Amino acid sequence: MSKKKVLVCDDDTGILEMLELALESDETVIITESNSLNVIPLIEKEKPDLILLDLWMPVLSGDQILRAIRQQTDTQSLPVIIISASLDGAKIARENGANDFLAKPFDIDELFNRVCKQIEVGC
Amino acid sequence: MDSLKDGHFTFSRDTVEQDFTLLTAALDASITGIIITDNRLTDNPIIYCNSAFEKMTGYDRKEIIGHNCRLLQREDRTQKERQQLREGIDQGKPVMVEIRNYTKTGTLFWNELYVSPIKDASGKVTHFIGIQHDVTRRKQAEAELENERQLMEQRIEERTQSLKLGQEYVESIVQTVRESLIVLDNNYKVLSVNDHFLRTFKVNKEETENKLLFDLGNGQWNIPRLKELLEKVLPTNNPVVDFQVEHDFPYIGHKVMLLNAHRIEYSGEYKDRILIAIEDITDRSEIEKRKDDFLTVASHELKTPLTTIKGYVQMMNRFMPEETDEKFKDILAKTAQFIDRLSNLITELLDVSRIQTGKMAIHREMFDFDQMIAETVEGIQAASKSHQIIIKGEPIGSYNGDESHLIQVVNNLVSNAVKYSPESKIVEVHKAFVSDYIKLSVIDNGMGISAEDQQKIFERFYRAGDIQTKFPGMGVGLYICDQIIKQHGGTLWVESEKGKGSNFSFTLPTKEAPGKK
Repeated sequence: MSKKKVLVCDDDTGILEMLELALESDETVIITESNSLNVIPLIEKEKPDLILLDLWMPVLSGDQILRAIRQQTDTQSLPVIIISASLDGAKIARENGANDFLAKPFDIDELFNRVCKQIEVGC
Repeated sequence: MDSLKDGHFTFSRDTVEQDFTLLTAALDASITGIIITDNRLTDNPIIYCNSAFEKMTGYDRKEIIGHNCRLLQREDRTQKERQQLREGIDQGKPVMVEIRNYTKTGTLFWNELYVSPIKDASGKVTHFIGIQHDVTRRKQAEAELENERQLMEQRIEERTQSLKLGQEYVESIVQTVRESLIVLDNNYKVLSVNDHFLRTFKVNKEETENKLLFDLGNGQWNIPRLKELLEKVLPTNNPVVDFQVEHDFPYIGHKVMLLNAHRIEYSGEYKDRILIAIEDITDRSEIEKRKDDFLTVASHELKTPLTTIKGYVQMMNRFMPEETDEKFKDILAKTAQFIDRLSNLITELLDVSRIQTGKMAIHREMFDFDQMIAETVEGIQAASKSHQIIIKGEPIGSYNGDESHLIQVVNNLVSNAVKYSPESKIVEVHKAFVSDYIKLSVIDNGMGISAEDQQKIFERFYRAGDIQTKFPGMGVGLYICDQIIKQHGGTLWVESEKGKGSNFSFTLPTKEAPGKK
């Protein structure tokens, strides 16, 4: 079985490092990106199986990226989990077509559960 | 009596003595003082006085005969009535004056004096008849009346003055107050405005007074909802409270104004007038917005590293070797616990700010109430081994509410129950249907809450009595819970007695939430 690719985009490198460490396994490859402008090209290039996306990021925000993903035919059904400390995070995620939402600070076990639900790894 | 015919004396030689005696007796019987002076003699001396005159003046006839009348005025010579008398006598005309006279013992009396000249056949004045009335009592009454009148006038003057002062006082308050005030008549026409109104809206009296409120400026007050409040709510004796108007006002630009209106109910001149106070809260709302923005950003920024810390701590747990000693495990568990606390504090801080500015919105969605309770309790149970948390009562099923906020409430109530009952073992969570409401109760056997504190624990930043030293916290938890339950259309309350545990309960309406917009 080939490894699943998870793209994590957050402007905070601390979170990126932590998530990379947490999610890395025999079944998954983790790609991290702190600059939200690179996300769309990165999706095209890497064709990830799941995206973990922060909302509040400079220049291009998570909801903008999410809308762009949903508008393109080849990515419109790509699983996206929004991870955000924003108060209206859940609402923004729902309204823009995210598959799931997890409020920061989240429980790592909960994150594994949600990831598992989307791509059936790390369960 | 032969000499009296048709009411007139008719003298004859035979009866003259008898007649004279009779007339003299009549004069003496009069209570009017009568004197006769002889103008033909030097200094016009008194040649006759009757007994009433003697009585009035205290002089005997023999003491007075031969004196001029001025004797009665003693040293009081400057009275203007003397001049009138003098003129009358000189011209041989009758005079009437009221003059101050003095009795023999020096007592003042007011004499209403009528002086009438007697002329001989050639028209020359031979005598004067002086008719005197003691009018002291009347004069006194008049003086008293005058005095009373002056007193009354003075009082009216004083009252008017004090009323004027009062008015000026009120006026100066009205003009000093840093709030715009408008008085309307019952047709919403502006009767007056204070200076602060004119300064705030940069308008003058002419373009404001006698205009309809709804026509002022560019129609900034012509708001259907405000119109309705003024026309329909005010007459029912309810004031309009804190009506917010956000508008691009002429001259002053975009402002947020808070409007309070009140109708004068007491009868009289001012009945049905409407008082409106307008407060410019533009700066305040701007500051509040900035504070909100700041707190939102701050909480977001604080949660970001917290996410990383939490993740690493949980991973340490995961990767912990089998042989790790208990002390280390315990330290890690404590660390995780306090990271959660820090996370909750950040959330609470933001919630308080949102409630204060009325921005905490409830997002209703159907969720499984029983599952929510079970999961929340499970979470707390996992962290508190000292207590057993028991769920009792009937199943509720699904409920349409804001699940995450309700979790917050249950979390708060149950963890409080655990926290404040360190000596006891059991906390009970009870679910029930009561009429159209869900009722959830959290019951502990802990330290309880005094009646005095029960009033205040739902207030912001309030911490009961000695709690602060033993159980640190911000004192916002119950305040937030109360607000969340209120927003759902329910109520949150406590029944407790010091030392006998507490029962916190809340209700949630199962029918469509009553009209909270």
